Amino acid sequence: MSHINNILKQAWDKGSWLAHRQAARKIKTIFTSGKAEPLTNMKIALLSSFTIDPLADYAITAAAAEQICLDIYLPGYDQFNQEILNPKSGLYNFQPEITFLFIEWDSLVLADDPKMPNQTENEIIARIKSLVDHFKQHASSLFVLGNFISALSWPLHITPDNKSSLITQVNQLLFEQFADDPQIQILDLNALAAYHGYQTALSPEMLHLARHPFSESFLPILSQKIMSHIKALRGLTRKCLVLDCDNTLWGGIIGEDGLDGIQLGPDTPGREFVDFQKTILELFQQGVILAINSKNNYADVLEVLQNHPQMVLREKHFAALEINWSDKPANMRRIARDLNLGLDSFVFFDDNPAEREMMQQMLPEVFTVDAPDNPAWFARTLRETNLFVKAYLTEEDRRRGQIYADQRRRQKLQSSVNSVEEYLTSLDMIATVYLTNTDHIKRVAQLTQRTNQFNLTTRRYQEADIKTMLDTKKWRLYTLSLKDKFGDNGIVGAALVIRENEIWRIDTFLMSCRIIGRGAEDALAARILQDASGLNIPLVHAEYIPSAKNILVADFWEKMNFACIENSSNYSLWRCQPEKYRPKYLNYLKVIYQ
Amino acid sequence: MQNAKIEQELALIFKESFGLDHINDSTSIFNVAGWDSMAHVSLIMTLQQQFNVSIPPADAIELTDIASIKKFLKAKILKRF
Repeated sequence: MSHINNILKQAWDKGSWLAHRQAARKIKTIFTSGKAEPLTNMKIALLSSFTIDPLADYAITAAAAEQICLDIYLPGYDQFNQEILNPKSGLYNFQPEITFLFIEWDSLVLADDPKMPNQTENEIIARIKSLVDHFKQHASSLFVLGNFISALSWPLHITPDNKSSLITQVNQLLFEQFADDPQIQILDLNALAAYHGYQTALSPEMLHLARHPFSESFLPILSQKIMSHIKALRGLTRKCLVLDCDNTLWGGIIGEDGLDGIQLGPDTPGREFVDFQKTILELFQQGVILAINSKNNYADVLEVLQNHPQMVLREKHFAALEINWSDKPANMRRIARDLNLGLDSFVFFDDNPAEREMMQQMLPEVFTVDAPDNPAWFARTLRETNLFVKAYLTEEDRRRGQIYADQRRRQKLQSSVNSVEEYLTSLDMIATVYLTNTDHIKRVAQLTQRTNQFNLTTRRYQEADIKTMLDTKKWRLYTLSLKDKFGDNGIVGAALVIRENEIWRIDTFLMSCRIIGRGAEDALAARILQDASGLNIPLVHAEYIPSAKNILVADFWEKMNFACIENSSNYSLWRCQPEKYRPKYLNYLKVIYQ
Repeated sequence: MQNAKIEQELALIFKESFGLDHINDSTSIFNVAGWDSMAHVSLIMTLQQQFNVSIPPADAIELTDIASIKKFLKAKILKRF
């Protein structure tokens, strides 16, 4: 990858489209020749009413920076109608995982077209809807639609700008129209261009030379937005934000300045840290897990967390508190172990460049934020990362930060009891297993995208895929939720089972990493086998497909008393006769079948 | 900016963009691999920045070989003095 990093560095230093274009070509060659192995590949399509090649070049470099190899279908400008309407088009043949569509307002709405004298917002939406419906007829993959840029056509005029108001209305309606459709996402191009500044986002030179509306300064941020959709689909989002304390969460040093001496509150200096903490709290509310990794006396930091009147973040928000004098990479490893997360789930924010350097060198898997010197910029810097992106927030997401913080209290209990069994019993766990509950589909899709460790086959599904599977009536969806005395973990396990003639095959079987080791998987497997037995199914097949991360479950089916009937280095097939299956009884787990 | 400096800068851009070690007046869109219509637009954008000139679309489509690029840049840049 270091070769790719050098190419990328050159492109970023220059910043021009030409530099990114050349870098994109070199990167393609490196990936296709096998000189570098990407973390993952993805096929996307970029459809547009304009020439979109510049965006493709920037997207390839942005993806390469995340070790993703993009294969992009580019049908050329203004081909989008034919590509979507014709079921035999190159688009459908290419089978992209995500199809992006950008239409310029002026190519959609011809102001002086006599055939369409009164184009209302509803008529425009209906036309877009019809195009989207055509796509949905021919593909079940994700479709991302860019909305319309509402920049004023006469910025300094004071008469009403009808065009701009109409675009604003259409943009609003677009969100409403597709809000409940899991296959469609809106890319808020208008808001992104406004954030960057319309004056600098749009380039008349590019428009007239290349039939491309965006400037070289806007293309990097737009390609980051493309990356957000890609990363959300792949589940390549970070899960935990790990924070330093002194001069990061507050100004000054608690061990020297004391509770009354640190800078934190409504006045300057101090409000920049309150602002930063509020931003962190927003992430927590979106399901990001928080932890502290700082060199302090434990009691000093706890006093701030518990007693400082201006703290936004409190002890209850943190899932791990590594506050000691060990080196920070060592602390980071402990946090990863305690939370049962891979190091590549972590983001580290520290004001001290030396600590950041050490983290980068020792644990390169952790994303270390290049924090600015001036704390006034901390909140903005964090907001402009795309490390925690999600396509949508499920109920579990909203509560995840809290769930992990509860877990810390569970582990406090764990260290005060003698045996694992005793600990598990003291949790008062109740697992509920559901059969084909369609309310859970969104969460299950998310679990298939994000779960790596306890995932027997690592098959990734989108929400629409699962809906289609269930519609065939051949598939059964099992989900599992787990409650204990510290709280409800929500839907944390899932299995997809298909009936193939007289045999059931467990296509997908996974558990969220936060409940590994609590026996819930036994309850889920037992339910499948009992159902099979009840329906006189003679055989259940199960698979294991090894990945870089799922070695944990290599012997799972063996443990469940399945017999191996096929075994190679990249696949194994197991079978079980359900009528002979005797479930393992776990006396610390109460199971309810719904 | 003098003639020699213009030639030097151009040589650098063509080396970095198209991997050419040597350019001469007849180096053109017809004989350089990778100098396609898209690369041409991105080249124009880069020329504008590197030489701090504005290139109208009508000129941009004509600047398809080194001779005409040099001629255009010299005319624009020398006019400033």
